[in-house]
Amino acid sequence: MTHLPYIVAAYGLTLGVAAILSVNATLRLRQARRRLAAIEQPRTRQPS
Amino acid sequence: MGEDRNFLTVFIAGTGAPGTDGSTLNATQSLTARTGNLFHRYANPGRFLRMGAKLQPWLTWPALVLSLAGIVWGLFFSPADWQQGDSVRIMYVHVPTAWLASSGYMGLAVCSLLSLVWRHPLADLAAVEIGPVGASITAVCLATGSLWGKPMWGTWWVWDARLTSVLVLFFLYLGHIALIRAFDEPQRGYRAAAILGLAGAVDLPIIKFSVQWWNTLHQPDSITVTGAPTMSTSMLWPLGLTTLGFTLGFAAIVLARLRASVMESRVRTILAANRGRQSAAAAPQPDRATP
Amino acid sequence: MTRKSRRLWLVVACMIGLGSAAALTLNAFSSNIVFFMAPSQVHSKPPPADRTIRLGGMVVAGSVHQEKVKDAPVAIFDVTDGQAAVTVRYEGILPDLFREGQSVVAVGTVNPDGTFRASEVLAKHDETYMPKEVAEELRRSGKWDPRFGKAPDAASWNTMTAADAPKKPATQTP
Repeated sequence: MTHLPYIVAAYGLTLGVAAILSVNATLRLRQARRRLAAIEQPRTRQPS
Repeated sequence: MGEDRNFLTVFIAGTGAPGTDGSTLNATQSLTARTGNLFHRYANPGRFLRMGAKLQPWLTWPALVLSLAGIVWGLFFSPADWQQGDSVRIMYVHVPTAWLASSGYMGLAVCSLLSLVWRHPLADLAAVEIGPVGASITAVCLATGSLWGKPMWGTWWVWDARLTSVLVLFFLYLGHIALIRAFDEPQRGYRAAAILGLAGAVDLPIIKFSVQWWNTLHQPDSITVTGAPTMSTSMLWPLGLTTLGFTLGFAAIVLARLRASVMESRVRTILAANRGRQSAAAAPQPDRATP
Repeated sequence: MTRKSRRLWLVVACMIGLGSAAALTLNAFSSNIVFFMAPSQVHSKPPPADRTIRLGGMVVAGSVHQEKVKDAPVAIFDVTDGQAAVTVRYEGILPDLFREGQSVVAVGTVNPDGTFRASEVLAKHDETYMPKEVAEELRRSGKWDPRFGKAPDAASWNTMTAADAPKKPATQTP
């Protein structure tokens, strides 16, 4: 009475969604940080 | 609304918390003022980014370690259930996602309250970021529930009170996601979505108590605040690990998205300011550039 | 009152209003939200023969008869809620979890003679999760028979693990 396909599907789905969310968040954070650094660097050197 | 604009400019300029409301007249006023100040201390984007960067590893790594440990334990080392056999292992991913679907919405409702009453700018950004994460988790909860229901109950789906109220929660998430992005002027979207977020919180007690108030195919909770858990400790441990791990993971993902969102809004503001300085007309900065 | 506290009270008032509206609505539709009827409800208020209802209860121990009619499996069993019992006839394959003492939900219609004709049978497992070994141990020691009701309190079998359960069968007497 094992229902292996159901168990594998449930775990696969959970891990898949978790992976998508994490990778998406990481990439977005990295890109935002890079853009902000690129834009803030010259501004802070301005004498104003 | 001068007050709101004041908060926003403070948020964008990042020059500290807004001023207090002078004299205190009654208890509620002082309460709202005090709590408002407490929250607004973290509205400063620079301080939020510093604290967020410090907090992030403390969420991410424990989340990964605990989730993986719980999953391995649940899949390979926990015992099979006496009536469900190995299918009971679906519980170790289904229950944490169900808990997160509800508590994620609770977070959304708290953000909505902060947004409506205190006009907290960070709460609006947090609400934008919690929505998609919570909706994904709720979808996973429904899907794993289906995958558990088919072999055990003999059906993918039934319209009982528990399943239906969780489906309603999923649609509330989708509605919030759509509404908060539906307006050209972000502030109006935040306001409308916050009202939906608070109103939808009515569904949370319905989900929680549906299995007690009505006959449902879904079984009652095994772990309650008042009673002893009706579950063997050898199953309770992996379940506790995955629940804690997934919760930290949810927080870590939301925090990472929120940090990115604050950075993005800062980039937009700086770009808009640069454009404004360059243009000879020197027209006042449009509200649209605010987060 | 500042604007902030006025907004706070407005939100609180709206939530109270919305909450009570939801509570009243759910209360009014309570009988429709209920997923299944108990056998005693079916007895006291028999639904019309053409109406499909869901009947929920426990399978009475010793009442299950399975036979084959023209290669199709037919199961006849009694479902009880402790006060009344209804005989159910179901043509089809029963779910894995079906057994004596198990809670089930049968979908179908009530015949004029009071028996129930099911088109679908769903197994409803309870909230007790217990390792197989512990369940077998409890059964062998006579502490619990799954055919007659719920498992004993978790605290009494929490200490029994898969490893030590088979080692002490004789000492476990009620």
